[in-house]
Amino acid sequence: MNKAVFKTIGLVLAALLVAMLFFLPMLGHYGNDSTLFTVTLLLASVGTAISWNLTGGFTGYVDFGHAVWWGIGAYTTGVLMSNESEWIPQQWPLVPALIVSMFFTALVANLVGRLTMRLSGPYFSIAMLGFFVFFREVVRVVGPLTNRGIGLTIKPVINRPLWYYITLIFVLFLVYLSWWLRRTRFGASLIAIREDEIGAEMRGIDTTRNKVMVFTLSGAITGLLGGMWAYQNTFLDPDIAFVEVRTIDAVMGTMLGGLGTVAGPIIGMVFLFVLRELLWTQESLLQTHLIVQGLLLGAVVLYLPKGLMGLVRGEVAFLDRFRERSSTFDGMESAVLEAQESSISDSENEHPNDPVAMHPTWDGRTS
Amino acid sequence: MRKRLRLALALFMAFGLVAAACGSDATDVVDSAGEAVADAAESAQDTVEDVAEDAADVATDDGAEDDAMAEEGADTIVGTIKIGAALSETGKFSVEGKDSRQGYDTWAKWVNEEYGGIQLPDGRYEVEIIYYDDESDADTAANLVQRLIDEDGVEFLLGPYSSGLTTGASAISEAADVIMVEGNGTSDSMFERDFQNLFLVATVASDYTKSGIEAFAAKGAKTAVVAYEDTSFPTAVANGAIKHLEDNGIEVLAVETYPKDPTDLSPIISKFRELEPDIFIGGGHYIDAVLFTNAADDVGFAPDGMLITVGPSNPKLIDELGDSVEGVVGPTQWEPTMAYSGEWLGSAQDFATRYESYWGEAPVYQAASAAASGLALHIAIEQAGTTDTAAVRDALRAMNVDTFYGPIGFDDRGVNTSKPMGTVQVQDGAINVVAPDGAAIADFSYPRGN
Repeated sequence: MNKAVFKTIGLVLAALLVAMLFFLPMLGHYGNDSTLFTVTLLLASVGTAISWNLTGGFTGYVDFGHAVWWGIGAYTTGVLMSNESEWIPQQWPLVPALIVSMFFTALVANLVGRLTMRLSGPYFSIAMLGFFVFFREVVRVVGPLTNRGIGLTIKPVINRPLWYYITLIFVLFLVYLSWWLRRTRFGASLIAIREDEIGAEMRGIDTTRNKVMVFTLSGAITGLLGGMWAYQNTFLDPDIAFVEVRTIDAVMGTMLGGLGTVAGPIIGMVFLFVLRELLWTQESLLQTHLIVQGLLLGAVVLYLPKGLMGLVRGEVAFLDRFRERSSTFDGMESAVLEAQESSISDSENEHPNDPVAMHPTWDGRTS
Repeated sequence: MRKRLRLALALFMAFGLVAAACGSDATDVVDSAGEAVADAAESAQDTVEDVAEDAADVATDDGAEDDAMAEEGADTIVGTIKIGAALSETGKFSVEGKDSRQGYDTWAKWVNEEYGGIQLPDGRYEVEIIYYDDESDADTAANLVQRLIDEDGVEFLLGPYSSGLTTGASAISEAADVIMVEGNGTSDSMFERDFQNLFLVATVASDYTKSGIEAFAAKGAKTAVVAYEDTSFPTAVANGAIKHLEDNGIEVLAVETYPKDPTDLSPIISKFRELEPDIFIGGGHYIDAVLFTNAADDVGFAPDGMLITVGPSNPKLIDELGDSVEGVVGPTQWEPTMAYSGEWLGSAQDFATRYESYWGEAPVYQAASAAASGLALHIAIEQAGTTDTAAVRDALRAMNVDTFYGPIGFDDRGVNTSKPMGTVQVQDGAINVVAPDGAAIADFSYPRGN
């Protein structure tokens, strides 16, 4: 009953939020260009976090160079839409440019994935960091195509409401994609890879193929978001398009919300965003807001290792400690034992990380 | 037990969030209430003034009396002009961001405290600058400019620091038809977009080396080599330099580029040594000046002239390298010693003295460029006699004035082409302006060491 109530409340809140987002541009002053711009940027970072979560959360491959796809997508759109590229001086219309950006990024991600997805743990993370720096330098070197370090300028045609709706619909689609994927055989295979890669392989899952597939998908999503951003920002050079902070934000937001969950990246990014808005608008924190933000986030990660989704499920580090300590008191002991038991049974019932529970064909083998 | 704890914690969090939200809401309400009262007062005042004006129009016989009344009214503060700026308080441009903010504030403080407010037909207006921190990030800068326009209702904008941030931010102000005057984003490509609302008081990047190269040519230099960092601003400077070299009949023997954040530039210098050029032109950022000078010393490369894009105008370089930088030449937007002055803020030296009294440190040219941006806007508003965007834009286009920063006059792109870029040379451990003639305080020494 508890779970059902939580689920209903969550769904109602989500529906309200979506309705609010759809009507936002019609709310006069509250839906002005400034608000729409801010929310569009937030939606784009939610989209990036969702795509990072596909490899980092579902598959367990922590990607430290994810922003490279954003940069490649942005540059593809920039090269096609700007007249400053010597090799492609024609100015393409937006939609074909975005489609090409998505497919080109997917292609590069596929090739890179074939190499890096064979590595594991920190080796993969560091290789991706390397590819991030590598592609930023490639952009500088391929001068006639990318206009070197000078950068590309796109003709500014800014229609905020239109842009907002395009981003909103795309991100809603991503949320659905992530939710749906989690329930498919492919999604279950990814989780199996995260939990026990060798085991998954022994059970007949083509792990490399699945890993490269999810990596390509993740790259394609971020590449498209990057292309959309380039069009909106109207200017890009290697240092603006390839920014480490985009990766850090995606990782931080996902960890904060809850790694490997559907709602985690959304909740985490929104929390991060609201925190920033509350901090930097304080005039007294004009020069120190980033320090305060860093400290607060450090504290949240220390005390909520499973993210905000963990908080909803009642997994809080200091509460666990409090429980350990209080277990010395006789009167409390039984209650705590009960709590621990229920936590174990909870995790058995609803543990999302259990590939066996997810995959119908494995039921017989494990029972 | 566990459920209760969970519930208590969730309630606590929810309460915290609501309290935080209410806190800001409450201030907003108070703010908007205050604004409403102020608006009402203002409109009441406007009505009174309109009536007074009408009366004055009717009573044409008492002309002298009217003038006296108008003058009396003109000296009182009747309102505020809101100006917005996104600047880098944090991140990689935080130092230059602070210099720019102090520059803007020097102008604003002077306008409000000494000048008496911007003069419009109906009286004087104080200026208020609203600042936000763009974290040296392009997205944030663009977002904040949109916020300044929509939320804070600013009438004009002053620019952020760096070309990268200004390019995106100015696209927003252009779309919203708000004028942005800036002094610290100088890449040429920004001004090739046919924008109507972007104005640069500083010299554009491609002209950084113009007066320096002309000085070299006048002294008889015939050959040159060029090396630059492969990023936006140094590339624009170097492309301009190559053009100016060719225009002045100096042959370019070689052009080399190097990636961002170099650690050793001696391979390039070794190559240049074999070519034996008369002059060397190079640079990107401050550290490049140090690397080039050290490499030239190590390799034994001693051309007659050395022009380094960023560094020679900074006293720190002399402290760091001593005699090695003797005779090195560099461009500068502005120096306190330049022989410029105007009816606002006095001479270049007056500005430096005032700046130092406000902030306890000498102004760098980024600060002067920022102050000059505010001043150009100020003069345009006064000449237009209104804060109407179209009228102020026309006034900016028609502007031709002398200031502490040098002459200000914009071309069709919005670039101040009236002010030449200054050139400094390190002479006996001092930084002296040697070109152009209008600003020079010392003779240009060529070849180096003569």
